[in-house]
Amino acid sequence: MALAAAEKEKSPEKILLSLTADLTESAEFGERLLEITQKSVRVCLPDGMPVQVIDLEDVASAKSESLVSGGRILATLKTGEQIPVVSYTLTHAEVFSDAAHIIDEMAKGESPFIALEQKVSRCPKCERLLPEDTTVCPRCVSRSKAMLRIAKYLVPYKKQALRLASIALVSTLMTLLPGLIMKQIIEAYENSLGESELFKWMGIWAGILFTMVVLKVLNDRLMVFLAANISADLKNATYRAIEFLRLSYFDRKPVGAIASRVSMDTDRIWHFLVDGLPFLFNNALILIGVIVILMVQNWFLAVCIIMPFPFIILISMKVWRPISNLFHRASQKVARVHMQLHESLSGIRVVKAFAREDHEYKKFIQRNTDFRDASLYADQRWITAHGTMNLVIQSGTIVTWTVGGLMLYRNQISMGEFILFNAYLGLAYGPLHWFAQINNWFSRAMAGAERIFEIMDMPREIVEGEGEQHTVQGSVEFEKVRFGYDKSNPILKEVNFKAEAGQMIGLVGHSGAGKSTTINLICRFYEPNAGRILIDGKDIQDLSLQDFRSQIGIVLQEPFLFHGTIAENIRYGRPDASIEEIMRAARAANAHDFILAKPEGYDTMVGERGVRLSGGEKQRISIARAILHDPQILIFDEATSSVDVETEKQIQEAIQRLVKGRTTFAIAHRLSTLRSADRLIVLDRGKIIEEGSHEELMAKKGDFYKLVQTQSQVNEIIGIA
Amino acid sequence: MSYPKFEVIEQPAGRLRLITDEQCWLEFKPVWASPLSHPGKYLALLDGKDKEILIVNEPDELDEGTRKLLISELERRVLTAQITEIIEAQTEFGVTYWLTETSRGRKEFVTQSLQENALWLAPHQLLLIDVNGNRFEIPDTQALDPESQKKLFATV
Repeated sequence: MALAAAEKEKSPEKILLSLTADLTESAEFGERLLEITQKSVRVCLPDGMPVQVIDLEDVASAKSESLVSGGRILATLKTGEQIPVVSYTLTHAEVFSDAAHIIDEMAKGESPFIALEQKVSRCPKCERLLPEDTTVCPRCVSRSKAMLRIAKYLVPYKKQALRLASIALVSTLMTLLPGLIMKQIIEAYENSLGESELFKWMGIWAGILFTMVVLKVLNDRLMVFLAANISADLKNATYRAIEFLRLSYFDRKPVGAIASRVSMDTDRIWHFLVDGLPFLFNNALILIGVIVILMVQNWFLAVCIIMPFPFIILISMKVWRPISNLFHRASQKVARVHMQLHESLSGIRVVKAFAREDHEYKKFIQRNTDFRDASLYADQRWITAHGTMNLVIQSGTIVTWTVGGLMLYRNQISMGEFILFNAYLGLAYGPLHWFAQINNWFSRAMAGAERIFEIMDMPREIVEGEGEQHTVQGSVEFEKVRFGYDKSNPILKEVNFKAEAGQMIGLVGHSGAGKSTTINLICRFYEPNAGRILIDGKDIQDLSLQDFRSQIGIVLQEPFLFHGTIAENIRYGRPDASIEEIMRAARAANAHDFILAKPEGYDTMVGERGVRLSGGEKQRISIARAILHDPQILIFDEATSSVDVETEKQIQEAIQRLVKGRTTFAIAHRLSTLRSADRLIVLDRGKIIEEGSHEELMAKKGDFYKLVQTQSQVNEIIGIA
Repeated sequence: MSYPKFEVIEQPAGRLRLITDEQCWLEFKPVWASPLSHPGKYLALLDGKDKEILIVNEPDELDEGTRKLLISELERRVLTAQITEIIEAQTEFGVTYWLTETSRGRKEFVTQSLQENALWLAPHQLLLIDVNGNRFEIPDTQALDPESQKKLFATV
C-alpha cells in the first residue's frame, strides 16, 4: 500500500533531503518535517514521528501547487489518487517547489541533484524573525557600526569637518565663561573693588560675545556646506545602488516608495548629521565643562545638580520609545501620500480621460487626512511628553535652589558662587531637556540609514569586472529551463530550444504562455530557477552581464523615451554616435522623414516619456535606437501591436532591414507578421508544444494553425483582414 | 441561477471531479472571485488551464454535498490567516514585528514598509502582507479587543 499510516515506523533509510514546513495537515501554523529518502517521502511531526509515508514507487508524479498565501505539494499515485503531501506558507514556497520537482524526478526514476537549503528566517542571536532578503537583524545590528558607516560620508570633507569640530569646541567652551564672569562681578561688588572692575569684566564679556557670534557664523556656514554635500553624496550612492538592484526588486516595490527612500531617508540622515550630531557634541561638552567647574566650586551642590540626571535620562528613554514609533507611523502615512501623488500624476492622462479628478482628489484627501491625523497625534503626544520632561527638569531646579539657597543663607557659599550655580543650572539641564529629542533624531536617522543600507547591501545585479567578456555570435540555447517570478508558480517549465546565430525565432502563444518571460531570461533580467541558458555554448551566468547586455537590442511594445531630444534618445545606447550615424539609423527605421518634418528636426524635445510623439513615431525612434546600438541579439516584444496597419507596415520594413545577420526573437500579436521567421516556437502554459517554420506548422494543422485560424476569424469580424 | 446544473464528487480520494450535463472535468479548481470585498460569494470553477467553467454567485444555494466539497477544497486552497488578537506589534528601524493569534493558531511575522503592506480594503478591514508575501486579514478592526486595537493603531 502506497500510503502508510502514522504508526509506520521510521525506516533507517538515508535521508536525502529534510525540510521544515510551517503548516500542519489541517492548515494550522505548526512545524512538519518533509523527509525524502531513496524509497519514500515522509512527513513527520517535529519529534520525528511520521504522520504520512508515501512509497516513491507508487508515485506517478508530484507537483507544487500555488495556493493563496502558501502552497502545497501534491503527489499523484499510479492509481490516479491525488494526495496532498505537505502544505507551507509563502515563506518556504521556493524551497518546497524545488522539493516537489525532486520528488517528481525521483518518481520517474531519475536521479535529481539534491542541494536545497532552507533560508535562515531567524536571527541566530536574538531569535527574532529576519526581514526579507537580508540576514541583518535590525535589533542586533550595531548602531555604532551604522553610525561609523554614515560617518564615512564625512571622509571626503574631513578638513571641513575637523574645522567645524574645532570651532564647535572653542565656542562651546566659551559658553561656560559668562557664568564665571558673573561670579567675578558679584564677588568684586562684595569686595567693593570699584566700578572699574565691573567695566573690565563687561569688556571681556562683550569680547567673548563678539567672538562667539563670529564663530557661530563660521560654524553655520561650514555646517551648511557639509549638509549640502553629504545629502547629495548619500542620494547619489542610494540611487546608484538602486540602479543595479535586480529587476525582481522593482516588481515588488512601487516606484513612489523607492523614490521616497532616495529623498526622505537620506534627508533624515542628513538632518541628524548636521543638526543632531553637532547638538549632541556641543551639549556633551557643555555638560562635562559645567560638571567639572561646579565640582571645583562646591562638590556638594554639584552633586545635588547632577543627582536627577540618571532619572531624567531614564524617564526620557521610557517616554520617547512610543513617541518614536508614532513618528515612524506618521512617516509611513506621508509616504502613502507621496505614492498617491506619484501615481495620480503619472496617470494624469487617464484620470482626465475618464473624468476621475474628483475620485483621485478624494483618495488624496483620505491619505492626506490619515497623515495629518497621524502627524497631529504624534506631535501632540510629543508635546505632552515634552511637558512631562519639563516638569522633571524643573523639579531638579527646585531641589538645587532649595539646597543652594539654604547654603547661601547659612553662608556656606558666596552670592557669586550661587549666581554661578544658577547660571550653570540652565546650561546643565538645557541639553538634558533635549536629550530625548536627540534620541528621537537618532532613532529616525538610524531607521532611515537601515533602509538605505538595506538597499545598498542587497544582492546587486552586476559586479563590475565579474564574468567573461565575450563577443556574442548569436547562438542562444535553453537547456531544461524552469522559471517563475514566484518560484512556487513556474511560468516556464523545462523549456528546451536552440536558436542558431542569425536565425529569426518567433515566439507564439496565448497571453501568459511564457513568451515575455523567455525574453526576460534571454536578457538576463532574471536568473532561471533551474536549467541553463547558453550563449554560443557558454553559460549566460559565466558572462559579464554588462558586456552581454551591451550586445542585445530590445524593442518593446511600449517604447520608453527619456526626456530629451529625438537625437539624444536614438543615441541612448551609443552616446558617441555622430549625427550622420543617427540619421542613418533613423532612415533604416523609417523615422527620418517624420523627424525632418518637425520644426526642430532631430533636436525636437520628446517630452516626458515621449508624450509629444505618436505611438508609431515613438516605436520607430526606439527601432532607430536599436539599429544604432548594432546588437548581435535582437528582441521585439510586441513591437507593432500598438500601432495602426499603415505604421505597422513601415515598422515591419524597418525590422526586416534590422534583423539581417542578427539572432532575432520576436513576439507579435499579429501572427502573420512572423511569416518570415526561420522558426516559430509555440508556447502553452510554460511549455513548448510546437516548433517549426510557418509553413510546417500551418501544414501540421496543430495548435499554431488553430491560433492563426482564430485570429483570422477575429480580424474578419473587426475588418482588419 | 445563471450557471449550468453541475455536481462535484470526490473520486478517487483527494481528487474532485466536476460533472455537468455536457462534460466531466477531472482537473478543475474552485476560487473565490472577490474574496475580500465579497466573502462567501462568487465562487468560480476554473479548468486545468485556469479558464472559467462557471461562476456561482450564491454558493449557499448549491446542494449540500457539492457545497461541502467545494468549501473544504477552498479552505485547503486559501491559507490567508485571520487575525483575532494582536499580542505584540513592535516597530524598530522600519520593520514591524507582530505576534498574533489567528484563525490558524499563533503566528509571528514581520512587515516592512507598512505604507505599502498594510492595505485598507474597507474603513475597518485591513490586510497585512508580511515580508514573504503571506497575507493576514483583519476583517473588522473594531471587532478586535481594545488592547489589540490600541496596538494596531499605534502601528498602522
